[in-house]
Order: sequence, then structure tokens, then C-alpha cells
Amino acid sequence: MSEPVIRTEGLTRSFSMGTTTVQALRGIDLTIERGEYVAIMGPSGSGKSTLMNLIGCLDTPTEGQYHLNGIAVAKLAEHELARIRNKEIGFVFQSFNLLARATALRNVELPLIYGGVSPRERRERAAEALREVDLDDRMDHRPNELSGGQRQRVSIARALVTKPALLLADEPTGNLDSKTSQEIMALFQRLYEAGNTIVVVTHEREIADHAQRVVTIRDGLVASDERNDERGAASNSAPSGAGTA
Amino acid sequence: MNVIEATRLAVESIWANRLRSFLTLLGVIIGIASIVATYAVIEGLNKYVEEKLSNLGSGVFTVQRFGIITNRQQFLDAIRRNRPLQREDAYAVRDRCASASNVAWQVRSTADLKRGANELLSVEVSGITPAILEIEPYEVADGRILMPFEDERAVPVAFIGNDVAERLFPGVDPIGKQLRIKGTPVKVVGIAVKKGSFLGFSQDNFVKIPYSLHRRLYGTSRSLRISVQTEDGSLMDDTMDEVRAVLRARHHLRPGEEDDFDILTSAGINDLWKGLTKTIFAIAIFVVGISLVVGGVVIMNIMLVSVIERTREIGVRKAVGARQRDIVQQFLIESVLLSCIGGAIGIAIAYAAAALLNEYTPLPAQFPSWAPWGAFLVCTSIGVFFGIHPAKRAAKLDPIEALRTE
Repeated sequence: MSEPVIRTEGLTRSFSMGTTTVQALRGIDLTIERGEYVAIMGPSGSGKSTLMNLIGCLDTPTEGQYHLNGIAVAKLAEHELARIRNKEIGFVFQSFNLLARATALRNVELPLIYGGVSPRERRERAAEALREVDLDDRMDHRPNELSGGQRQRVSIARALVTKPALLLADEPTGNLDSKTSQEIMALFQRLYEAGNTIVVVTHEREIADHAQRVVTIRDGLVASDERNDERGAASNSAPSGAGTA
Repeated sequence: MNVIEATRLAVESIWANRLRSFLTLLGVIIGIASIVATYAVIEGLNKYVEEKLSNLGSGVFTVQRFGIITNRQQFLDAIRRNRPLQREDAYAVRDRCASASNVAWQVRSTADLKRGANELLSVEVSGITPAILEIEPYEVADGRILMPFEDERAVPVAFIGNDVAERLFPGVDPIGKQLRIKGTPVKVVGIAVKKGSFLGFSQDNFVKIPYSLHRRLYGTSRSLRISVQTEDGSLMDDTMDEVRAVLRARHHLRPGEEDDFDILTSAGINDLWKGLTKTIFAIAIFVVGISLVVGGVVIMNIMLVSVIERTREIGVRKAVGARQRDIVQQFLIESVLLSCIGGAIGIAIAYAAAALLNEYTPLPAQFPSWAPWGAFLVCTSIGVFFGIHPAKRAAKLDPIEALRTE
């Protein structure tokens, strides 16, 4: 069996605030296989953002192990983490985080620039990624000329363009109306069916229900880890207090 | 990320904030423009002076009562020690210095000229021995120069400059006409070619009359300036020694006593001039250096502002794989480019200023060919020196924090 995309063991992260130390994560064991579509849920303050930062290699754990696509990343240096973020992870942010001055195409090219891809190949691959999210007619538009849904699709194209091991989305529909949200979630479904590994961090049950598996974080620990048998079938499994430490 | 990409980003960023970028660059623009313009003017003056001095011809030196005096003490000493040079001194040099091929002298005074109702005030009237025109030649526009016999017999004739011709004889051909110096009628025999003005002073406002005539009009008290030409420029030092010996003997100076006259060579004058302009340029460099430092600080300031404004962008770049060195490179290239744009504008202004000075003012200016390269080097250094701190600050931003900022 191939290496899981994410494997964490006893992942701990604490922050010192003046004299006290706050433990945001208190030992997360989580394994996500290739091709899974996982939602990470939890109320604010549960530690899900901290977990997402660790999974996204934007932060390093205080203790514990984290293997991303077979690479032990817990102890990597800054420039090595940058490389991992570039090659292995595609970020989708709540507020899109597109560069305002750049066209959709340039925005999608951005990770490839840091990946050292030649200009011609860059353009081809960025155009290809935009085609995948049905934006091939908006390549030369700047973010302010695009709707919210279109912007988020540009940012998804940017996340996909390096063919990363993991697509990591942080509240991807948080800034969108419900109709557009549905479109974006449909796009995630399509990407999942095409074999991408997707992790969506959200506090909305409705969004989480699109995923194949829902991991709930509470007080820095995994509170529950459930599988949706069918899409939408788990709508009755409302978050419960079970499993809290 | 390669340099071409980073440069492209920098250009986009600078262009997006055109006005701010331009204002940021004022310090550098002014600094570079003024230093190059100053240098251009000094170079122009140097070249002019050199040309003037080479007019004298090689192997020429002058003997005069006062040489170049650069401080008060020298002045006081010279006043006490040096005596006016007399006609007899000039005769002695002419008759007893074998290695001098040509000896001539002149004496200067200022006079008001009259012609009928026309009056021309404060004109330089010099009494010359005509041989001086062989040492310091004047091009003749009309008529002729003075003749040796006219000096011998104190013939009242004059060779005049273009200004005098135009202003005292408007619309009239001056040749053969008379003008009055101290009431004495003098006939114009020749007009010099117009030389134009230098540093705002006309070089055409003169009248040259025979030395003997000048002596008759003004008396004997004025000191002469004796010009000596040697046959061979390499023998000039020997000739100078000979002249010195003749004059010292005539003035009864004992060994050990200082000369009571001064000898000037064109090389000496040129050295003194160069030394003077070098000092001016050094001061200019210092003053302009301050403006460049200020310009650099302004660039640093604007880069720090830019880092704060673009915190989120930096976060995005880091999230998609930018390393710290990529971010440093991006901001450093931006500050260097900014500074170099300032330098380029400064150079353009200096170039235009030099051209305008040449065209519309008496100041000669020569744009130095090394200026663009020099400015490029200086501005690159400024960009790196003042850009490194903001660039490092940008690179060290925590991507999580950066993505969270609004």
C-alpha cells in the first residue's frame, strides 16, 4: 500500500503567551489516504486553524511527527518547508488571496514561478488549470473584474496547478453566497472524483457533509472521525460532545 | 524565482505606484543631477582654461609684479617686497637673455572712450609692444594689427575689440575713424574677431595701443607684464633662470633674498586652477552626498511602507512556495530598480542642464561620459544598502500572520 498523504502522530503545538503556555493541539493522530475527501470541523478555538497551519507546512509542531506524502516535515528548515508548500500542497483560502494587480493567468502561474518552471510551460499549465475550473474565458481578467465564485475558482486553479499531493481549503465558501457555495462544492466533488486528495477546514456542517469523511476537533484533540457512507447521508450525525477529553 | 521574474514584479509594483515612486526618488534625482551637472561645469571650465592657456603657446611665460596670490599674508608680503616692473627691466630681459626668442610687454589701465557724443565707460586700454601679438595672437576681423614702428614713434593708433567697434561706431566702419582716449585722438587701424563672453565678462571690450603711446598718456608708474617666449619649450626652465638672474642683478638682490617679481607659466596657472576646482568638486560631492543619503533613507522608508502594505501578498507568496531569499530578492530588486530609475532621471536632467548651459549661458559645460556608469554604481549601492533592511523584514514575516492581516 502506498504511503498515506497525511500521517500525524501525537502532533502537539503550544504557544507561549507571556508567562502562560497555551496548548492549541494536544496530540493529534490523523491519517489521510490518497484520494480521500476529508472535512476538518470544529468550533472556533478548537485548534482546527492550528492543525490546518501544521498540515499546510506554514508552521511546525512543538512535538510529534508529521509525514506529508512520505516526507517527515516536522523538523524541516524554512526553505525546505517553502519547497514542500510549493510542490505538495495547494492552498485555497477563505478570502481567495489573489494578487490584485495580476491577471487570473498570472495568479495561477505564481506557484510555478517559485517552482522554477519555464515561462512557456508555466503559461500552458496555468491555462490548463484554469480550463479545469471552467475559467478559460477569463484568463486575462484581474480579480476585481471577476465575481466571488470566479475568484475562488481562480484560487482553486492556482492550488491545482502544481499537481500537489494535497488540496487544502480553509473555509473555501466563507465569503460566498449559498448558490455560489454550491457551485464551489460541486467543483470540489468533481476534483475528488478525479482522484485529488482534499482536506476542507470548515465550521459549517453543510459544507462538511460534502466530504467523504468528517474529522471533528475539539479542545486540541480529535473528538470524532466519521465516514459519510453516501454524500449527504451523514446529515443526521450532528456534532456531539462525545469523545471530548 | 529568477531575476527576470523578480525584475518584472518590481517594474509592475513601481508602475502601480507611479507618483509615489517618483516623489520617493526626488532625493536621488536631485543628488545625481546636481553632482553630474557640477562636474560637467567644472570640466567645461577646466577645458576652457586649458584652451586659453594653450593659446599662449608652449614655452611662454610671463614676468609680472604679482603672481597668483591665494592668501592675505602672501598679499602683504608681495606688496612690501615687489616693485613695479619698469621699461628698463623689459629692455634688460630683451637685450640680455640670449635664450629668449621673443620678448614683449604690455601695461593695462581702464579708460572711458569718447567718439563725438558717444561715450564708452570702463574699457580696458592696454599699451603693448606689437610683438606681444605674436605670443598672444588675436585674429583680425578687419584692418591690421599694430606695427613695430608705431610703438617706436608712439603713433596714435588702436587695435580694438568687437564690443568697442559695435558700441562706439554703430553702423559705421571704424577703420580709419578716430576715438578719444583721455582727450587724445587715436585712429582705429584694426578690429579683432569677436570672442564672446566668458563667465559673463565680455572678452571683446578692449583697446590696444602702442606701449609708448600708453606711457605718454598714463605715465611710467604702472608695472609691466613681460611675456617671454623661448625657441624650444623644453628649454623654458633655463630661460626662466636666465630671466631671473638678469632681473635680480638689475634689482641688486643679494643671494638669499627672495625675488621681487613673479614668474607665471601656463602649466603653473593650470595646476592652480585644477587644484581650485578639485576643492570645489570635493565640497560639491560632500553636499550632494548628504542629499543621496537622504534619498536613500526615503527609499528605505517607502520600502518599509510597501512591505506593510503588501504583508498579505507576501503571505500568499510564501504559502505558494516563496522562500525567504525569494522575498529578499524581490524587494531588493525593487529598491535597486527604484534607485536606479532615480539615477537615470538625474543623469538625463544633468545632460539636459549641460546642454542648456552651453546653449544659453556663458558657462561652458562638458557632460562626463563616465557619469551614467558612475550613477548606476552609486544608485545600485544606495538601493542595496537602504533596501536590505526592508527586504529582510518582508522575508521574515510569519506567513500565518501575514495571511491573517487585512
